[in-house]
Amino acid sequence: MSADPFMIMKNIEKSFNGVPVLKKVTLEIQRGEIHALLGENGAGKSTLMNVLGGVHQPDNGLINLNGEAVKMTTPRVSQAHGISFIHQELNVVPDLRVYENMFLGSELRNKIGFLKVEEMCRQTSSVLEQLGVSINPKEYVRNLDTSYKQLIEIAKALLHKSSLIIMDEPTSSLAEHEVNRLFKLMNNLKNSGVSIIYISHKLKEIKKVCDRYTVLRDGEVVGTGCIENESLDTITKLMVGKSISEDRFIHGHSFGPVLLEVNHLTSEGLFNNIDFTVRKGEILGFTGLAGDGRTELFESLFGYRKNYSGSIKINNQPVKIDHPSKAIKAGIGLVPKDRKENAIIKDLSVVHNMSLSAMRNFEKFGFIRDQLENQIFQSYKEKLNIKVHNAGITIDKLSGGNQQKVIIAKWLEVNTDIIIFDNPTQGIDVGAKQEIYHHIITLAEQGKAVIILSSEAPEVLKICHNIYVMYQGEITARFKGEEATEDEIMSYATGSKREAHQIG
Amino acid sequence: MANLELKEYNQQTSTTKTRLSWLWSEYSVIIAFLIIFIAASIMSPRFLDINNQLNILMQVSIIGIVALGMTVVMLSGGIDLSVGSVLVLVGVISVLALNASGSIFVAILTALAIGSAAGFLNGLMVAKGRIASFIATLGMMAGARSIALYIAEGGSVSGKVSGFTAIANSDLWLIDYPIIIFLIMTVLVYVLMHKTRFGRYVYALGSNEKAALLSAIRVDRVKLGVYSLAGLLVSVAAIIETSRLNSISSSSSGVQYELDAIAAVIIGGTRMTGGRGKIIGTFFGVLILGILNNMMNLMNVSPHLQGFVKGLIIIVAVLFQKRE
Ligand SMILES: Nc1ncnc2c1ncn2[C@@H]1O[C@H](COP(=O)(O)OP(=O)(O)OP(=O)(O)O)[C@@H](O)[C@H]1O
Ligand SMILES: [Mg+2]
Repeated sequence: MSADPFMIMKNIEKSFNGVPVLKKVTLEIQRGEIHALLGENGAGKSTLMNVLGGVHQPDNGLINLNGEAVKMTTPRVSQAHGISFIHQELNVVPDLRVYENMFLGSELRNKIGFLKVEEMCRQTSSVLEQLGVSINPKEYVRNLDTSYKQLIEIAKALLHKSSLIIMDEPTSSLAEHEVNRLFKLMNNLKNSGVSIIYISHKLKEIKKVCDRYTVLRDGEVVGTGCIENESLDTITKLMVGKSISEDRFIHGHSFGPVLLEVNHLTSEGLFNNIDFTVRKGEILGFTGLAGDGRTELFESLFGYRKNYSGSIKINNQPVKIDHPSKAIKAGIGLVPKDRKENAIIKDLSVVHNMSLSAMRNFEKFGFIRDQLENQIFQSYKEKLNIKVHNAGITIDKLSGGNQQKVIIAKWLEVNTDIIIFDNPTQGIDVGAKQEIYHHIITLAEQGKAVIILSSEAPEVLKICHNIYVMYQGEITARFKGEEATEDEIMSYATGSKREAHQIG
Repeated sequence: MANLELKEYNQQTSTTKTRLSWLWSEYSVIIAFLIIFIAASIMSPRFLDINNQLNILMQVSIIGIVALGMTVVMLSGGIDLSVGSVLVLVGVISVLALNASGSIFVAILTALAIGSAAGFLNGLMVAKGRIASFIATLGMMAGARSIALYIAEGGSVSGKVSGFTAIANSDLWLIDYPIIIFLIMTVLVYVLMHKTRFGRYVYALGSNEKAALLSAIRVDRVKLGVYSLAGLLVSVAAIIETSRLNSISSSSSGVQYELDAIAAVIIGGTRMTGGRGKIIGTFFGVLILGILNNMMNLMNVSPHLQGFVKGLIIIVAVLFQKRE
């Protein structure tokens, strides 16, 4: 280790409304290293990075860059110091084109002041190419899949020739091959002397790319060192205070009658001829790469999309669902992916976000019972370990993982017989993930039918009784949970194998 | 040692500062109201006179009721430009109904029906026709005014039933009925927005429409409800306006009411794009506008300049909102 690190944050303190969030945090980053910043949901990782990125001002403490004291008064100042920031929540503007998003605020102009559109498109394509993405730079971002939106965020940070890149959970909606490409790129950057601060809850990724780590817990540094010298288990213990088993969760099972039956569901260009059934007490997993159509399939089932053909039966009765409220009446709930876009009502308080889809549970004579709302929230807060000091604050003040827990609580409160989770553990820490898996299994044991959509094969392998793999809108394989392996799933997900295994 | 003290001092000021900024962001309208109120009472001794105070309330009651509906529309992420024209149309038709039937009750029912129907039509255009609220209600603004002009042949219509004027010209222990109606409407809309499911849905829809839909909210129906409610409140205002002088002019009544109502809502701290704002804020926004009008009259400011002052206040209010 060299004597003078490239960047030091020293004794940073920060509190919100009198609640301390960072307590004398010190973070040192060397030139050309990938540094993992770890910790539970709400530990203060994003807040610390927001201080470095000029989004928040620290109450106390110093930032030293290249041996000089600097004050990050605004995000622009931070950028001018060569720091790029990939935020935890996506910040792309859906109504702008890809290249316009990439160059937002730093557009290229010629001498007279006209935009150099072709040049911007060229640079956009070349950066995206490095990430292995080929999309038309003139495409509108709203038409793109989430994983592309996230890749655009990453590419945007690469565009500025930065010396320090902050990546706050950059891979939360990426598929594995996209992650691998990102890692290759990160290694190249590292070799050319760029430092990277990498935040993630996926410890396997940390082990793969990071050189050193710092662990935060309740706003304090509880450990720092070299990744090489530590096992994943010790790091997990540092983070959540216990070790986590990586084994399969469920073993024996008994299913009830078929609850949901889907036949020949087809939607032009999205999914094709989908057949499956879910029984009471069954946890069914759907996995595949980005763009495999699984999200669109279940959005259709939930009534959010209407242009599809085929039949849906619940309890053997054909149902016609053309609005999410009818889905709830029919007994289907959907926890959507990409919380910022699809689930978070950022102007409502934490409690009100929790109760939004189940208002009838909180009414008496047509009036909302605030007290009951708060009581019920308290019970979810304990059950899911949601970290919030005052549940009356708006939900966007919560840490990313805690927002996700509130969204899960919201759908647990609706309490439908069939519940679909789309990427449910996005941004959730390793400890809390286990808790959520246990809740999902309890739901199944109560006789509900659970469907889990996930791009992470290990996740579905861990908790699903049966696993369906999708590729380009079609189901290409069906496995029993205990028989499937990650490799086999991957070969069907990437389309290199196609014939369908039938479940007995 | 000195360093340590300095640090502690820093910390203290920073917490009091955050507390103050919280107070300001939550209650800025009320604070602004108090400042203007105190300034007014210092500048003009007649301001505090109880008759003047009641006069102010009386003058704002019509715009106040319209602004309540406007708040709900703007919280849902829309805007309603048609309020002034719909008010006139409701006034004209309900006077005709009054004269034809001789019944005040029938007149009131007609007013409420016409107002909410116009609002419902706005809602249909916005929710089902997916027309931007600005455009849809601009069309209604032109259309409603034109029908009112046509029916009244460009002039005024007057009531011919005694007792109709009592609605706006009676008082209860000194307090005029319009003031009482305004206060009751404020309380009702407040309860609707903060204590019922409908209100919660309006905020959700204004904040993130896609998430609201995925939360299984019937977004279309909520929008229909929002615009119908605004229309209903406009008809209440129309009844007061018509009863006050026992007549309504198809050409000059209700002109620029949409501007005053929007101004009150904005001054009250409601965000233009929806999702954030309070009924209480609008209530005080209305009072602030009323006091300013009253002060300018008391101080003999030329009526031609009064629009300028109002415009200035709106812009300042929005600038403060941006700061947040
Ligand atoms: N603007 C804010 N106002 C009030 N509290 C805040 C604000 N921003 C963050 N917090 C609080 O600070 C704590 C730390 O949040 P932070 O976002 O830094 O966590 P994190 O480590 O990034 O967690 P995650 O892994 O869930 O993203 C949380 O308890 C959060 O509620
Ligand atoms: Mg975070």
